[in-house]
Amino acid sequence: MNRKMLQFTHIEQRMPDKRTAAARRGDFGEVTLALDGERAVEQSSRCEQCGIPFCQIHCPVANNIPDWLMLAAEGRMEEAYALSSATNSLPEICGRICPQDRLCEGNCVLEQSGHGAVTIGAVEKHITEHAFAQGWVKPPRPRRELPQSVGIVGGGPAGLAAADLLRRAGFQVTLYDRHDRIGGLMVYGIPSFKLDKAVVERRVALLAEGGVAMRPGTEIGRDLSFAELRASHDAVLIATGVYKPRELMVPGAGLPGVIPALDYLITSNRICLGDSVPAFADGSLDAKGKQVVVIGGGDTAMDCVRTAIRQGARSVKCLYRRDRANMPGSQREVAHAEEEGVEFVWMAAPEAVFGERKVTGLRALRMHLGIADASGRQVPVPIDGSSFTLPADLVITALGFDAEDVPALFGEPGLVVARSGTVKIDPQSWMTSLEGVFAAGDIVRGASLVVWAIRDGRDAAGAITKYIGARAAAAAE
Amino acid sequence: MSRNLGEQFVAEYLANAAVLEAAGVDLTEHDACGVGLVAALDGKPRREVVTAGIDALKVLWHRGAVDADGKTGDGAGIHVELPQEFFKDHVRHQGHEPVPGRLAIGMIFLPKTDLGAQERCRCIVETEILAFGYTIYGWRQVPVNVAVIGEKANATRPEIEQILVANSKNTPEERFETDLYLIRRRIEKRVLAEPITDFYICTLSCRSVIYKGMFLAEQLTSFYPDLLDERFISRFAIYHQRYSTNTFPTWRLAQPFRMLAHNGEINTLTGNVNWMKAHEPRMAHIAFGESMEDIKPIVQPGGSDSAQLDNVFEVMVRAGRPAPLVKQMLIPESIGANSEMPETHRAFYSYCNAVIEPWDGPAALCATDGRWVMAGMDRNGLRPMRFTITTGGLLIVGSETGMIKVAENEVVEKGRVGPGETIAVDLEHGHFYRDRALKDVLSARRSYGSWTKRITELDSLVKTGAPEPSELAGEALARRQLAYGLSMEDMELILQPMVDEAKEAIGSMGDDTPLAVLSEHYRGLHHFFRQNFSQVTNPPIDSLRESGVMTLKTRLGNLGNILDEDESQCDLLQLESPVLSTAEFEAMRAYMGDTAAEIDCTFDLEEAESGLKGALARIRREAEDAVRGGCTHLVLSDQAMAPGRAAVPMILAAGGVHSHLVRERLRTWTSLNVRSGEALDVHYFAVLIGVGATTVNAYLAQEAIADRQRRGLFGALSLEECVRNYKKAVDQGLLKIMAKMGIAVISSYRGGYNFEAVGLSRALVAEFFPGMASRISGIGLSGIEKQTTGQHRAGFEAESAVLPIGGFYRFRRGGETHAHDGTLIHTLQTAVATDSYSAYRRYSDGVRRLPPITIRDLLDLRPAGPAASADEVESITEIRKRFLTPGMSLGALSPEAHGTLNIAMNRIGAKSVSGEGGEDPERYRPRPNGDNANSAVKQIASGRFGVTAEYLSNCREIEIKVAQGAKPGEGGQLPGFKVTVEIAKLRHSTPGVMLISPPPHHDIYSIEDLAQLIYDLKQINPLARVTVKLVSRSGIGTVAAGVAKAKADTILISGHSGGTGASPQTSIKYAGLPWEIGLSEAHQVLTLNRLRHRVRLRTDGGIKTGRDVVIAALLGAEEFNIGTTSLVAMGCIMVRQCHSNTCPVGVCTQDPALRARFAGTPDKVVNLFSFIAEEVREILASLGARTLNEIIGRTDLLFQVSRGAAHLDDLDLNPLLAQADAGGYARYCTQEERNEVPDTLDAQIIKDARPLLEEREKMQLTYNVRNVDRAIGTKLSHNITKRYGMTGLAPGHVTVRLRGSAGQSLGAFAVQGLKLEVFGDANDYVGKGLSGGTIVVRPTVSSPLRTNENTIVGNTVLYGATAGKLFAAGQAGERFAVRNSGAATVVEGCGSNGCEYMTGGTVVILGAAGANFGAGMTGGMAFVYDAQGNFPSRVNPDTVVWQRVESDYWEGVLKALIAEHVTETQSPWAEALLADWGRESPRFWQVVPKEMLSRLEHPVRREAELERA
Repeated sequence: MNRKMLQFTHIEQRMPDKRTAAARRGDFGEVTLALDGERAVEQSSRCEQCGIPFCQIHCPVANNIPDWLMLAAEGRMEEAYALSSATNSLPEICGRICPQDRLCEGNCVLEQSGHGAVTIGAVEKHITEHAFAQGWVKPPRPRRELPQSVGIVGGGPAGLAAADLLRRAGFQVTLYDRHDRIGGLMVYGIPSFKLDKAVVERRVALLAEGGVAMRPGTEIGRDLSFAELRASHDAVLIATGVYKPRELMVPGAGLPGVIPALDYLITSNRICLGDSVPAFADGSLDAKGKQVVVIGGGDTAMDCVRTAIRQGARSVKCLYRRDRANMPGSQREVAHAEEEGVEFVWMAAPEAVFGERKVTGLRALRMHLGIADASGRQVPVPIDGSSFTLPADLVITALGFDAEDVPALFGEPGLVVARSGTVKIDPQSWMTSLEGVFAAGDIVRGASLVVWAIRDGRDAAGAITKYIGARAAAAAE
Repeated sequence: MSRNLGEQFVAEYLANAAVLEAAGVDLTEHDACGVGLVAALDGKPRREVVTAGIDALKVLWHRGAVDADGKTGDGAGIHVELPQEFFKDHVRHQGHEPVPGRLAIGMIFLPKTDLGAQERCRCIVETEILAFGYTIYGWRQVPVNVAVIGEKANATRPEIEQILVANSKNTPEERFETDLYLIRRRIEKRVLAEPITDFYICTLSCRSVIYKGMFLAEQLTSFYPDLLDERFISRFAIYHQRYSTNTFPTWRLAQPFRMLAHNGEINTLTGNVNWMKAHEPRMAHIAFGESMEDIKPIVQPGGSDSAQLDNVFEVMVRAGRPAPLVKQMLIPESIGANSEMPETHRAFYSYCNAVIEPWDGPAALCATDGRWVMAGMDRNGLRPMRFTITTGGLLIVGSETGMIKVAENEVVEKGRVGPGETIAVDLEHGHFYRDRALKDVLSARRSYGSWTKRITELDSLVKTGAPEPSELAGEALARRQLAYGLSMEDMELILQPMVDEAKEAIGSMGDDTPLAVLSEHYRGLHHFFRQNFSQVTNPPIDSLRESGVMTLKTRLGNLGNILDEDESQCDLLQLESPVLSTAEFEAMRAYMGDTAAEIDCTFDLEEAESGLKGALARIRREAEDAVRGGCTHLVLSDQAMAPGRAAVPMILAAGGVHSHLVRERLRTWTSLNVRSGEALDVHYFAVLIGVGATTVNAYLAQEAIADRQRRGLFGALSLEECVRNYKKAVDQGLLKIMAKMGIAVISSYRGGYNFEAVGLSRALVAEFFPGMASRISGIGLSGIEKQTTGQHRAGFEAESAVLPIGGFYRFRRGGETHAHDGTLIHTLQTAVATDSYSAYRRYSDGVRRLPPITIRDLLDLRPAGPAASADEVESITEIRKRFLTPGMSLGALSPEAHGTLNIAMNRIGAKSVSGEGGEDPERYRPRPNGDNANSAVKQIASGRFGVTAEYLSNCREIEIKVAQGAKPGEGGQLPGFKVTVEIAKLRHSTPGVMLISPPPHHDIYSIEDLAQLIYDLKQINPLARVTVKLVSRSGIGTVAAGVAKAKADTILISGHSGGTGASPQTSIKYAGLPWEIGLSEAHQVLTLNRLRHRVRLRTDGGIKTGRDVVIAALLGAEEFNIGTTSLVAMGCIMVRQCHSNTCPVGVCTQDPALRARFAGTPDKVVNLFSFIAEEVREILASLGARTLNEIIGRTDLLFQVSRGAAHLDDLDLNPLLAQADAGGYARYCTQEERNEVPDTLDAQIIKDARPLLEEREKMQLTYNVRNVDRAIGTKLSHNITKRYGMTGLAPGHVTVRLRGSAGQSLGAFAVQGLKLEVFGDANDYVGKGLSGGTIVVRPTVSSPLRTNENTIVGNTVLYGATAGKLFAAGQAGERFAVRNSGAATVVEGCGSNGCEYMTGGTVVILGAAGANFGAGMTGGMAFVYDAQGNFPSRVNPDTVVWQRVESDYWEGVLKALIAEHVTETQSPWAEALLADWGRESPRFWQVVPKEMLSRLEHPVRREAELERA
């Protein structure tokens, strides 16, 4: 299998080219440029074809990375696509937005040994885009149609991945989403400069073409009762994600001008999609000309700061209570943000927001890192008397998300949830406390990566297939 | 009643052996020996022949082994003509007058103590003789002197009597002899039917008699005073000294046997014995008439390989063939190896090959049929056989020269018997035949030329040039592949390289996946078969470099009566290879027409539960019916596989039909041709053929090739080219698999079950693969059916027809478990980097939690008593001393990694093994900071790279690597790109030029050879212990016992899972056994033989944790190698690209940029071993033990916790846990000092050389020597090296002059300053490992011999020499200067395989060179004088070019060496050449390795020379 592989000893790592920071700041176009075919071949051929592929071990969907790298390096693109899409329902999306530096590429043996990782994400994106261009990407077409149907609540990555596999298995699948577009946070949460919305639309359209019924703008508990939903399907999958922002708990947090990240990002994405949003029009969710402070160190915070730059903010600062090495967000995103002009204020936590009728500034405390807690992360500890202030017209809080009150929303008190609000499932069967009702994605595991949602959606689809199969078999006897 | 020690030993041995046999331990002995004969060339009996034979036997003792009592030998004996007068006098003495004509004597071993049985035997003997109409003179008690034999031998001694038979019918002698044979067979069968053991007839003959027994050879005449009687005169004497791998004295296994005496081992024994069973039904001969059934079974059970060969030899002789002819039939010369074979001989051998499968393996035979006496050699010439003809008319043949003292001026000729050669004396006509003349006579017996024209060569027929058909594609193809469990990995990693490169795929590191029987995944049946391989008692063959002796020639059809001699025996089809492409198969099928029957090998899934069982019954029935109906060909095919029909695993179908037909005595009536969809890799083909298939067509693999070819994955290759490449890869692979067993001929491999099952139910094996070992039982028919149908359904019902990714060779999520788990590797690396024992415990617990992978995962520990306090348990330091890092060569490992391991192991008083490839002398002294990077254990492997006197002197232990876990029985290659300047220096070779390690050690073809090597090593390093590294397999116990008897100090049992730098994937996966099986067996059998306390046992192969160490100790090991895990501690992350030189972490690469990434430290390694030792302590405490010694061999502390998956018949580890009673001895080695070997002449030399060793004085010493004086100069070289260094003295500083025949290993490892001068001749291994010394061997001044026409030194001379000079005024034997890497030498002719694998030095041969010269030679230079002009047909062209000597420079080199030869030896021949140089010099060839042409400082081509000038 090593005919053209193991070239890392003389081929350098070359990450995909990026648009210049200056060019990026002006619009919401994707930052990274696609690899050309030649570069994709060259970079794929660097792979060492390891006996233990740590890239795969650290890939939530266990992509057979060395194998499709080999196929890509040999120019066997159709096989590469077949292999890549066999383990992942949305490879074109993972190729763009996975934090590869923390997953496959970060654990690549070549990265670990100082040679620089294989550019796995870029190759994955290249393989899938090439497949789309060649017309190899086909809507799910089952070998045989099955009479049973499955209702999926939530059109995000978990729901889409589940819909893909369930449809391929032959089930009749209906996807419900309370938003007017299918795609969940991939449409409304992630900015276009990371993931062009057309990419998501293309995938949704493909599923629809394959026979997945799409019901956007349908909120369970409002437009359709949960009981009706259960009655009309043999199984239901809850994949609603988590949307409740964690709140900033400091004095002045209620001031106008202090806004949750998701409101800000959804608005921005709607504008990009051509919708009109009043809160943007009135400037309350527009960063243009403002001094913006984003609080948080995760990927959502990175999305916010970079969106603010593109909206033309006067200044953008990011406040985070640990240091760069200990932040949860992708290092690559931080680098992008810095290139684009974001200023990071490390080791600082907000103490109060101040302003008269609206926010005008922020007082913060310097922190230092104490000893590690049970989770192994060092705990930030305030430094006495280190207060300082930052001017701010817009404070965006990106402190993470919690689950909404799903039983209340659905009007189904029988649905058992954890204290954090996430839906409880049996880890083997993926079933919730309700017969035939399954759950997957962030609503089960809490806020996490798109790729984990895909993995959950696929696993849940497998569990549902087994469940329905067993019931059908039992009924036949 | 008090019993003596011998009786006690015998009683205990028999009790223990019964326990072990019940546990399935293979106790089959292996033996080897010294052999020879003396014959009167004039065909007149004389006393001198007998006395010479007796004398020769006395100086062969070192080729046997002696028990600790100093009296019990492994067996010796002599076969001489019957002294009629001696016995007639005896008859007269008894008061009878003998009838005229010859009387016959039966030399009989009777039960000694059971007098009833003894009487019963006498009665049977007498009855059968009388029944044939002959009369009896009476019994004669043979006088014996029991005082000269040991207690053990005496305890098993039979009652030895002779029965005297009168030819009262006056039958002609020849007929009388045949009748006596029939009588003997009838007696033997009748005794066998009684509950009587210990009955054996040595001979029953009117011509000759055999005296043999379990005494030392020199006691022959003391034990049997008969032989001292002057009336014992004979025309021949055949004598034999045995070396057995067992300690139990078995009198009947002493040689000679009735016809022959044999030195060597028959590797194809199982196949031969099975085929003899198959041949039996058709065997008939007029000589036996109605009595034919009396002599069956031809091969009698319980015999050694030699005894069974003798059985067949005898029946063929009795059927009227002269002994020399029978030898050619059973042990033919290779047609392929002899390019100069005359056409008539070729036809003769084609006939022989058409009649019977060769008995293949190392063999030096001395045999007689009464009229002829002969000595012959196997096709490879793997045993020594020298002969001398005297002016007195005696022919003296033997394993060594100089066994019988003959004054040099009474010698007419000194020669040797070469590969495939036979010499013979026709005693009737008093005529001596050399090989060529003998074969001329034999091939003129019949018109073999016209007979063999009847053979239909199918190759021309099947190579129609027709396009290869392809019918399957896309989903249809994929569904079938899925149903067979094939994966993308199989396609990409295995199939693709076979087509791309026409070679098998290469991989690295060991196999860490579960045994097939433990896997949770589907595994094809071939996964349960492990390839057998040779080690110690017989050598593997190099199928690449010695391809001439190998053959895949396959006969199809109706095999006739092997006792016939007529043209109809040639009515058969013949193929060059059993591997057929689809087009070829179809052409063959068309040719066969209705002589073939097709049998469908699929079964309906919807049938009741007995689907597979029923199908197999049907298949066998249909096969039987077809054969009974007259079909001469069967075709088994699973092509009818469909969604509702699953394929019967083809191995079961083929094995089932083969074994069924053998049982029904129908097998030889038909060929068995197989079309299998599952067959893909080489191993599958080997299994099919090994279980009896005649030809194999892998139609689905070919469809896969066609599919990939259509997709353009093979570049521009046409489908036909692709298929040809694939076929070539399979052919080469089959040859390699046969060769690792030492088998050269596929017809003898076929049906030989040269495998061992791991995890197959014993009942299943007994039914389908009878005779194959299956120690732990496992999956049976119902389990196989469940697996097969499950996989079939999964394949045809899967949503998408996409091959799964695999994961068998390399880890993939969802695929096979791998013991080296990614997360655990990181945990371990964290633990050793941070010195965290708790992290190590997380690792160790994680290893324990993996699904079962190895046998030990099914075992758990049971405390011996209350837990001990941890304080009482022996210390970490104490335990660490038992650890080693196994041989990983500098060349595989980076110098950084290699050095780090050494420093770490020295730091903790443990040991590291250097691996093959030498060591930098800089390392022999500790570094200024105290780090010691010198390997404590120096490895000596088949390549002998860098093995010098200095290397061997700077260590505490020497390890002989006989085999390697990842590729037992195979050699290796270090590709040119890995031969850096540094490595080339250590290996005495040229940078950038490929280096080859041969599969065998060319000085270990047999157990007594190993004993000799151990002897040599104990001379060159008088303190170092010697370890012998073996690979686990069934039967290893007896091999280990033999090795212990050869005076090894430690025996290492390596598991199959051991790592490798590069090895064929199928070898990594399917050769060798888990160490648990081999270790327990070695421990059991050593205990049985009372050898365990004298030798240490060490084991390795995937040991990862303290728990593994403890289990290994409980199974019998006291020392432990930890290889891969120690690499992991240094940063290895199982990238498995060692063979690619791209190790990204710098562990296993020579690329300087990558080496710079190496992040390992000695501390990390020390931490690893400390953690493991600490874990061992904890477990010891929990077991209630305080030291490791307490628990060694305590299998009672182990119990089986899992019997595997529910679908298995049984998985039974009890055979591993059976204990042999230790009889009061310890179960571990109690010996502090090493096992010493007898002194050599060097003891005296060193005494005499004190002025040299103490005062550096120049000296000249003179001694008389005999062949028993072995390794002369070796110990002296050690002393010189220690005192002055390897190059500290000028050449010739001390001269030792020797007169007579020097024993083996003359001047082994001799260093600069030492000069050995022999006036006489020398035996094998002269100048082994020569390290700078000078050796001169020349005839005495009085000798009338022409130097260039006589043999003066033996086989394998200068093997592994690194420097020095050898001048020998005469011819050398086979394999001259093999692996020479620096010595300069002149000899006057050499045998086959000269200069093989040579990498340096200069060789001048002033006479003919044998076949296959320069095979695999990649360095150095050779000059060959070629008077006949036939050298070009004898040279192996693969790696060398040859030309006339063009350049002045090289002519100068040549001439100077010849001049030096003249000076040293006074050779008249060499002098004559120089005298007439102008006429003679154009007759020289210069042989140059191709790779060296561009690298030589002085070009060899004239143009190039001019250019450079």
